[in-house]
Order: sequence, then C-alpha cells, then structure tokens
Amino acid sequence: MTQASISDRPRSQWNGAKPALPALALLLAFFVLPVAGLLLRSLTEPQFGLQNYAELVATTTYARVIFNTFLVSGVVTVVALVIGYPVAWLLAIMPQRAASIVFGIIVLSMWTNLLARTYAWMVLLQRTGVINKTLMEIGIIDQPLPLVNNLIGVTIGMVYIMLPFIILPLHATMRSIDPAILNAAALCGAGRWESFRRVLLPLSAPGAAAGALMVFVMSLGYYVTPSLLGGTANMMLAGIIAQLVQSLLNWGLGGAAAFVLLVVTLSLYALQVRYLEGRGTLQGVR
Amino acid sequence: MLLAYDRLGGLRVALWCITGLVSAFLLLPIVFIAALSFGSSQWLVFPPPSWTMKWYQQVFSDPRWLESTWTSFQIAVLVTIASVLLALPASFALVRGSFPGKHVLRGLFMTPMVMPVVVFAVALYALFLRVGLSGTMLGFIIAHTILAFPFALIAISNSLQGFDKAIEDAAVLCGATPLQAKLRITLPAIRLGVLAAALFSFLMSWDEVVVAIFMASPTLQTLPVRIWGALRQDLSPAIAAVSTLLVLTTLAAMLAAAIVRKAIAK
Repeated sequence: MTQASISDRPRSQWNGAKPALPALALLLAFFVLPVAGLLLRSLTEPQFGLQNYAELVATTTYARVIFNTFLVSGVVTVVALVIGYPVAWLLAIMPQRAASIVFGIIVLSMWTNLLARTYAWMVLLQRTGVINKTLMEIGIIDQPLPLVNNLIGVTIGMVYIMLPFIILPLHATMRSIDPAILNAAALCGAGRWESFRRVLLPLSAPGAAAGALMVFVMSLGYYVTPSLLGGTANMMLAGIIAQLVQSLLNWGLGGAAAFVLLVVTLSLYALQVRYLEGRGTLQGVR
Repeated sequence: MLLAYDRLGGLRVALWCITGLVSAFLLLPIVFIAALSFGSSQWLVFPPPSWTMKWYQQVFSDPRWLESTWTSFQIAVLVTIASVLLALPASFALVRGSFPGKHVLRGLFMTPMVMPVVVFAVALYALFLRVGLSGTMLGFIIAHTILAFPFALIAISNSLQGFDKAIEDAAVLCGATPLQAKLRITLPAIRLGVLAAALFSFLMSWDEVVVAIFMASPTLQTLPVRIWGALRQDLSPAIAAVSTLLVLTTLAAMLAAAIVRKAIAK
C-alpha cells in the first residue's frame, strides 16, 4: 500500500466522484429523463407550441384552480403561523417535562399516516359529523355547516397537516434567542408589547419566514388532502394535473400544469436557500 | 422577560391556553378514529351506540387488506435496501470527493425531496407506460427509492461528516485494503446514520401514497393505495380500524426511536 492511495492528493479532476455514479444513473434515467419528457410533451402535444400554456391561463376553470391553489396555500400559511407562533414560543421556554409531552403530540400527529388523518377529518367535518352536531347542540348554529367538499374543509385539513412544519423550525429559532436580550429590553423600559414588537418578533422573524415559506410551497403541490376534503368541484393544482393525465389523457395540458407547479415550487425553494439559508428550516438538509 | 417562563405572568396563561387548544386539535382526529374503530355504527355515529371488534375482524378476514399490507411491506424492505446501498457510496462521494459540479450533484440528489410529488408521479407514470414498468413491483421500488434516497443521503452524509477520516487511514497504514477499512472501521462508526437512513427510507415507502396511486394496478396495490380506493368509495369503519392499526405502528416506532436515543445517550 503506497502513501498516495491513502491521502487525499488529487489523482484526477474527478477525484472521488465515482461512488456517486449508481445513484446518478438511477436519477438520470428515472427522474431527469421523465420530467424532461413531460415538459417536452407539454410543448409538443397536440402540436408544437405554447398552446397548452395559453389554454391553462385562458380557460376560466383552470385559471380558477390556480387561483384557488394560491388562495388556500396562503390562508393555510397565515393561519398555521398565527396559531403556531404562541405554541413555538411557549415550547421554547416551558419546563422540560411539559415540553416533551407537547412535542410527543406534535410528532405523533406528524408521523401518523396521512390518509388516516385525512379520513378522520372527512368523518369529523361531514354534515352529520361530530363538529356540526356539537355546534348545533350548543346552539351556535341551527343548520349544519357545509365543512367538507369545499375549500373550508381543505383549509382545516391542510392547517392540521402543516402546523408541525411551522412549530418545529420556529421553536428552534426561539430557543436560539438569548433571553438576556429581552431582559435588557425590559431594563431599558420597554413594556411587554414593545419588547414583543421591537425585540422578540424581529428576532424570531427569520424562523417564521422560513417555516411559512416551506408550508406555502408544500401546500401548493399537495394532492391527497385537497382531493379528499375538497371534492371534485374544488380541485387544486395537483388534483387537476392528476385528473388531466389519468382520466382525460390530456398529457399536453397536464404536462403544462405540472411544469407551472414545478417552476413555482423550485423558484420559491431557491429563494429560501438564498435568503433564509441556515436559519431554521432546512437545518441538516444541505 | 418574554423568554423567562417564570416571569410571563398573565401572558403565560394565554400561551398555555393556545398551546392546550392546539395540542387538542392535533390529537383530536387520532383519538377520534381510534374510538370510531371500536364503535358499532356503520354510519360512524358518534358517540357510538355500542362497542365492537367487528371492524377489526372484517379487516383481518379480508384477503385484500392483508395482501396489500404484505405488498407494502415487501416494497418498503426492498426500497430500504436499495436506498441505503445507493446513498452509502454517494455520501462518500459528496463528503470526501472534490470534483467539479459537486454542488450541482448534491442539488440534483435533493430535488426529489422538494419537488411536488404529483409532478414526479405523473412524469414517471408516462415513462413507465412506455417501457412496461407500470403496475409492476420493480416500478414501485424504483419510484420509492428515488423519493427515499435524499433522506438516506442526508442521514448518512451527516454522520460521515462527523467521522474522522484519519482513523480509516490508520487502518490502511496498518495493512487493511481501503475497502476493508471502510467496511470494518468506517461503517461501524457511522452505523447510527445508516440505521436512521434505513428507518427513513422504510417509512417513506410505507406511507407513500401519491406516486403509489399512479404505479398501482388492480392486482398490485400497496396499503395506502387500498385505503385511498376505499376512501373514495365510502367512509366504512373498516378504514378506521386500519387507521388505528397504523397509528399503533407509529406509536411503536416512536417508542423504539426513543429507546434507541436513550441507549445512545448512556
């Protein structure tokens, strides 16, 4: 065994790249190639050109689906942020024992099979479901509210799924804030509200932004929950892509919709990597 | 002040109220399906008129539920093996290699994790229809391996990053071949990363539904595909029973993870 083979002295420009080749081959053949193929079909079927993209924007149905997708994702993000923020805050400072119980609940809900959770919401929210029945018994409403097969149902189900993705990164950011800074603010005469608005909120903003952006992007492409809770009349982008391809066999239009979703998603991720890198969310990913 | 638990005063009560409500919100559906699965009402009346085990009996006597569970398990095991075997060498390349385009390669490897699954599913479905892999076990394994691979890569790369290469070099200096040194020195040292990679890959495949919907055929269905199909028909309480069983496996996995973590801490 010679010294040269042990040390990291570069033997060629491609030093050490070889072990990644099997994975690279798999990804090229079954990831890059099919995605490129789909893009190509969106530009060539039925004939070459941008007609599929034009149809996507010009058709009211599809334009509304795109609008709904952004609307629901936005509302889900805001709601999850507003109710997740206090939880992340308290989690960061509460006694260890209590915190581990709350953490256990968050992780359990996150790890429970997605379909199982969605099924529960389908049953809970239906016309004769527990929520409607309880509300009617208390006397808040006298007609059952339509909570499922519409965008309200989708929003409730999505907030449920996305909450952990806000709470966990935000909690990490909150923990990294030095409590002494808040004490200093108090010593300098800042009241509670002022300390919150001018110290805690700005310091926790990067974590909140990272979590919110991730939740927004994940919501944009979500398929299962919107399809089951929204019904056929309230599809989101992912649902319409699946329908175009599976039932209508319109690969051109389906490919175009898929490509719009892909470009939006990857651009937002690029934004996240560029401006929020290492501030909470994707810790350990890169 | 605001970050001192003992000095929050009235704010503490407010924060606890919200946290309590959110915890209840997160627990509600899980507890609810568990309760429903033992309820006797076909129409999911709650609270149930009486308690029963018949939905569990129905699940365990239905060969389709058992078959799809077995299919899911087989696929998840093979995906775990494939994903770890690909991620191990790839981690060595990404952690220790120095070559042009390394960051691009890492970016490519991570993309399946961040891109919308439905786009990948549709694209792969188109390809599989052409090459005849649609509705096959191999098709499932390829699709799920690509989705599991980034998680395995992160887990293994992270632990490889924390391993001092000098120890491996020492083994080589003592006469081991480079491969021997990797297998007998480095691999045991990063075993927790590998274990985590295997666990993530298994769970990824076991729970995956979107790609699976496209890959499945009437004769080859994973458990999530079977649940999906059942959900689109009706809200039968049998699904509640299956869901409860899945929650129990989740709890068992969490417990196992906690025990392993404790064992490491000691």
